[in-house]
Amino acid sequence: MTPEFRIEVEALAGALDLIDYFGILKLPRTAELAEIKAAYYRESRAYHPDRFAAVPDPELRAAVGKIYRRINEAYTVLRDEQRRRKYAADVSGPDRAAKLRFTEAEESQLKDEQKRKLEEQFGQTPNGRKLYATALQEMAAGRWDAAGRALKTALMYEPGNPRFQEQLAVVEQQKPRSDPFRIK
Amino acid sequence: MSDSIAVGIDLGTSYSCVAATRDGTPQIILNEWGERTHASVVSFLDDGTVLVGNDAKKNIITHAERTVYSAKRLIGRFFFSDEVKKAQSVMPYRIVEGPNNSVRVQVGEQVLAVPEISALVLKEMKAIAETALGRPVTQAVVTCPAYFNDNQRQATKDAGRIAGLEVLRIINEPTAAALAYGFGKDVSQKLCVYDLGGGTFDVSILEIGKDVFEVLSTAGDTYLGGDDFDDRIMTWLADAFLQEHGLDLRQNKFCLQMLKEASERAKIEVGREGSARIHVPGICQSPEGEVLDLTRALDAETFNRMVMDLVQRTFKVCDEALQSARLTAGDIDAVILVGGPTRLPVIRSSVRHYFQKEPMAGIDPDEVVALGASIQAAALLDEGAAAAGQASYLLDVTPLSLRVGTVGGFAEKILEKNTPIPIERSKTFTTSRDGQDRVRIRVYQGESNRAEGCELLGEFEFAGFRIGLRGEVQIQVTFEIDSNGIVNVSAQDLESGQRTSTTISLSSGLSEAELRSAIDKNAGLELASHGVAAA
Repeated sequence: MTPEFRIEVEALAGALDLIDYFGILKLPRTAELAEIKAAYYRESRAYHPDRFAAVPDPELRAAVGKIYRRINEAYTVLRDEQRRRKYAADVSGPDRAAKLRFTEAEESQLKDEQKRKLEEQFGQTPNGRKLYATALQEMAAGRWDAAGRALKTALMYEPGNPRFQEQLAVVEQQKPRSDPFRIK
Repeated sequence: MSDSIAVGIDLGTSYSCVAATRDGTPQIILNEWGERTHASVVSFLDDGTVLVGNDAKKNIITHAERTVYSAKRLIGRFFFSDEVKKAQSVMPYRIVEGPNNSVRVQVGEQVLAVPEISALVLKEMKAIAETALGRPVTQAVVTCPAYFNDNQRQATKDAGRIAGLEVLRIINEPTAAALAYGFGKDVSQKLCVYDLGGGTFDVSILEIGKDVFEVLSTAGDTYLGGDDFDDRIMTWLADAFLQEHGLDLRQNKFCLQMLKEASERAKIEVGREGSARIHVPGICQSPEGEVLDLTRALDAETFNRMVMDLVQRTFKVCDEALQSARLTAGDIDAVILVGGPTRLPVIRSSVRHYFQKEPMAGIDPDEVVALGASIQAAALLDEGAAAAGQASYLLDVTPLSLRVGTVGGFAEKILEKNTPIPIERSKTFTTSRDGQDRVRIRVYQGESNRAEGCELLGEFEFAGFRIGLRGEVQIQVTFEIDSNGIVNVSAQDLESGQRTSTTISLSSGLSEAELRSAIDKNAGLELASHGVAAA
């Protein structure tokens, strides 16, 4: 190991908490999966602890270990598309300094967000979801009456669900204005 | 670096194997009798010496109570676990309870911890290497199933220490096999290692990018192995014998051992020849004093039908591994078979069918793991390998999610399975009472969100932080999984940054004092020479 390398490793190990994951893997924030993997392999070749296992300098080994654990952490977050998107947004925002590491707080935020999206899309109650699914099927089959009934019942379980209302409007438009068989 | 040498040891459930890499070439080390693999059997002889290896295996029948085998099935387990209960009913040696729900083996007056048994196998491997290499060997890389949890890994590492070996690294068996396959080949491909051993089954999916071996996912079943195939033949034989003679061979531990041996032989024969003749003269005596023989013929079709559900179970595990890696069977470029049972035609043809691909030829399923371990051992000693461009990098993962116990018997996930290691994760805990001076957490591994569905690694107690009102003191606990897959937990007071003291309890492992006395005991035990009939 050259003395320059030693200095470099120690500087990096000391500054880890100031660098974001993209910086750790030396990547632009727009990087895609293939690039991320290539960068992970490149940094692994440089900082894998096995490279330094035989180096008789415990401080250097500890510094390398610290760097490599962070490389793995960065890879774990960035290789997952949803985590990567959230992380990129977090470190581009005003709270950047507090968001450099993807912790349990961010993890649960991400989970909540996914849950909310799912709920918006498919309803918040089991009955609402079931009826909404039925309505979509009926719509696909062109049975507008049945679809309308399912959506109206779904709205009884979840009054004001924008998604349900939107679909109901579509159904109402499709329905024939007046039923020719009904006696007025 | 010719002045130091480290060996690679495959510490198997049924057989172990030792290899060394010299001048860049990994080679199996043979014992004085030219044997390449050695039964993981330890027989305590009457003269106080211990016989280990293929000769010791012969003693399973004659010295059943003093001969310990399949210790790997027990290593790092709690006494109350199902595996231990099952072992108690079939093993001829005595399995007793030790402190903290640990498992001990009693041989005569001696009570040994399971790592002490494994240490004797390792001691034999060390002796074989020393004889062949003509020099002392003190460092080794030891392999373990990829699906081993922290308790089992720690116990394996302890075994090495007890045997007088510095364990440079615990590496996963499938990863070692992949390394032996891809080392120096400069290939880029996706690889599946199908590792069916004597007692465990592992699948790892790897991506090899020249010198980088990235484990994408791993899955396994630590209750599935070649022994279970033997069991099926045993049941088949014993049921027929019971019907014919009205005697249950499984009731007598002596008969049971003869039955087990015959079943294992029949399995190997049916795999190699397509059919097997089972003949055990004088397996037992009828109440009338008549000596009875066990005679039966087993054909491949009957055998395949007997084990088909076991074979199917391995592919459920393959499905899981592929799914975690977000791949399908068609994405795999090469399949490597590891472990003795993969010689069976029924396994080979099922693997071919599942992956729509011929498994790699020219790889010895009994030796490839030890070869890979020896490559890693040499690499860990060589400071200049990276500069010379000869290094290879193993990027492995943790096989199980790491969790902490929460109120109501739940276990909250800290690190997900298949996360690359080494890695660390922190979590902040606060005190729940005024003036609280210690915080206790329980750490688990497993995929259930209920604590009872996971394996307990231990209870950690932190003390020595500031004392304040409840919720005021914040303790940051850092969970680290090192390159061996072993979990380390430390804590610090978030405000003062001061590290707190940590004590571990409820752990199945050996204490430092127990370890020291085990090291002394092991050093005092002499290995018996082979070829001498047990007295």
